[in-house]
Amino acid sequence: MVDGNSVNTTREQLLETIRSIETQTLVNIILAFFVAYIFARIITALLSKLSEKMSRSGRIKVKMVIPAVKFGIYIVAFYYFLTELLNIFGPELFLLTGLIGAAVGFGLKDLFADFVGGVIITFEKPYQVGDKISIGNYYGEVTDIGLRATKLVTPDDNTVTAPNSLIFNEAIASGNYGASEMMIVIDLYIASESDVKAAMKILRETVVTSKYVYISRTSPVILLHKSLPFYTRLRAKAYVNDLRDEFEFESDVHTRAWTEFGKNGIRAPQLHILNIPQIGEESELRTTRRKNDRSNVIHGKYSDFNAGSQKNS
Amino acid sequence: MEDNSNKTDEMVFGEIIGMRDEIGKIQEAIADFEVGKKLNVAIIAGLFGGKTTLIKEIEKLNLSRATKITFSEVVRDKKEISLSGDTKRVVLFDNCHFLYVRKPGGFDIFYEFLDMISSQNRIFITTWNIYSWKYLKEVFELEKYFPVQIVVPAFSEEHLKQLIFNRYEEGEIIFNNGGESDEEPVAYITEYPIELSAIGKKISIPILKINIHYLKKYLLSEKKEKKEGKEKTAEHRVFERIHLESKGNPGVALRIWKLALDYPHIKPEDVGNFSYDIELEQEEAFVLNLILSYQGLKKSDIVDIIGSMLKTDEVLFQLLNQELVFEDENDSFRVRPEALHSVITYLEKLRLVW
Repeated sequence: MVDGNSVNTTREQLLETIRSIETQTLVNIILAFFVAYIFARIITALLSKLSEKMSRSGRIKVKMVIPAVKFGIYIVAFYYFLTELLNIFGPELFLLTGLIGAAVGFGLKDLFADFVGGVIITFEKPYQVGDKISIGNYYGEVTDIGLRATKLVTPDDNTVTAPNSLIFNEAIASGNYGASEMMIVIDLYIASESDVKAAMKILRETVVTSKYVYISRTSPVILLHKSLPFYTRLRAKAYVNDLRDEFEFESDVHTRAWTEFGKNGIRAPQLHILNIPQIGEESELRTTRRKNDRSNVIHGKYSDFNAGSQKNS
Repeated sequence: MEDNSNKTDEMVFGEIIGMRDEIGKIQEAIADFEVGKKLNVAIIAGLFGGKTTLIKEIEKLNLSRATKITFSEVVRDKKEISLSGDTKRVVLFDNCHFLYVRKPGGFDIFYEFLDMISSQNRIFITTWNIYSWKYLKEVFELEKYFPVQIVVPAFSEEHLKQLIFNRYEEGEIIFNNGGESDEEPVAYITEYPIELSAIGKKISIPILKINIHYLKKYLLSEKKEKKEGKEKTAEHRVFERIHLESKGNPGVALRIWKLALDYPHIKPEDVGNFSYDIELEQEEAFVLNLILSYQGLKKSDIVDIIGSMLKTDEVLFQLLNQELVFEDENDSFRVRPEALHSVITYLEKLRLVW
């Protein structure tokens, strides 16, 4: 059995030690973390600026270093903190560790999981700064890997802050994984009766002449064709030179391919095949439907029975 | 006094300097063809690299059995590449990078050309711009059609000197050491150009060099030869700088020489150090890449590829403004020789040239 008196003594000893901490030591610890934070920010900003001036592959390489440098700085600060702590508490540190453990267990477990996630991301590299990744419901370019969270910029220019612990629960897809080029899949749908051979030739030439394309032995252009019941799908798999031009590349291929398709009599699938009314017809139908809806609302105001009967019909 | 070197431009540039090995390989391929082994030849060189000079030499050596066709602008008509019945068995095509247009539907003549060179019982010796070649190689595996590929080598300092001296009479050019005194320095600082494609810039690093040339002459020569020695070492420094700056490209070397020459005097310090700070938009860089890959492009061709006259005007204005290109007498836009290495480094950074 644990002696109640000895527990009380230890608690008193601990309180006594805490009371004996000098203000200077506390200020030093806070200052160390503050300096580490500022230093990490400066280094990140400088390296980011440098990377943007470099070639595309150089940019990714420099950005890869940023998280490791940041963690290095924080580890130094943490080491200083621990040294100070050991100086103060000595053997009582175990008791404090217990307290920290309890705090982590109850209140800060998510923060701790995020921190561990950050360490894993930095050293295992499931993705890196500069990668285009899908994580959770988000897709975008990784701009920062912090201690707690990863920042992504989505194609709509939203900055998403995703907690690092997501890597434990979610699958992460990296489109380029450290490379500056990235495969883009471009689908074009044409009418079944169109000349597929001519369409494939046009699509290939459109892709290989794009100003955004990157072609090499390891990054070839692949063209696929699939005939479906009501239309034909043409698929081009090609690498964009700079992953930031992903959507521009796709748009460039679409625009130029459809211009050429038009010149060569290659048409888009017709909607009537699927029994979907043509655009003109549809708008007419919509207008009629809207009119009906409005009359239903008017009827509905006066009679619940009418509305119900409309639904049933 | 007037620099009369222009009069002899064609003649001198036509004289083959170096490239003996390359000529040997081509002649060997022609000889093999005569005994039934067909190996088409691709002569590949950068802008101003000397591939036309090389193919002219091949034509001279095979006058009786070769037909030469030169493309000087983008080929639009299939008839331009079709060979008549009296075409000889050795066909020389100069500037084959003009056989395609980088746009959808722009490869029809190129396909015809590939079909022709693989099906006809003739040997085809062709010249290509290196960047067009690399592009077509990745896209169409062009190298399979040309088992013999000859990359025109860079000129050595000695060859550049020979190329330039061929334009003048002996003793016509006076080399000065450029200093206040008549003394040739024992050591001097020279700018060493370095192309950093990681940052897309060409930079120069000052390097201290011992004037071994001068020291040798000074220590070993008789007194009366010492004066001559001074001029010789200044000459050595001029060509050393031209060679470093041009990276052995004869066209660039000639341009740098012309810019430095204050006829009939030339000083090592006057040999320029050309570094351009290039900042371009995506479209501008793409057009610059096209101009580099085709060697020279007319405005109408650029409009055809870009698809917009307005955009083309804007882009060309930028490129002319940054002094990266110039418009030649045939209305073609070409990269300025002195800007060539900066342009290549910049486009390598963007990976627009591979």
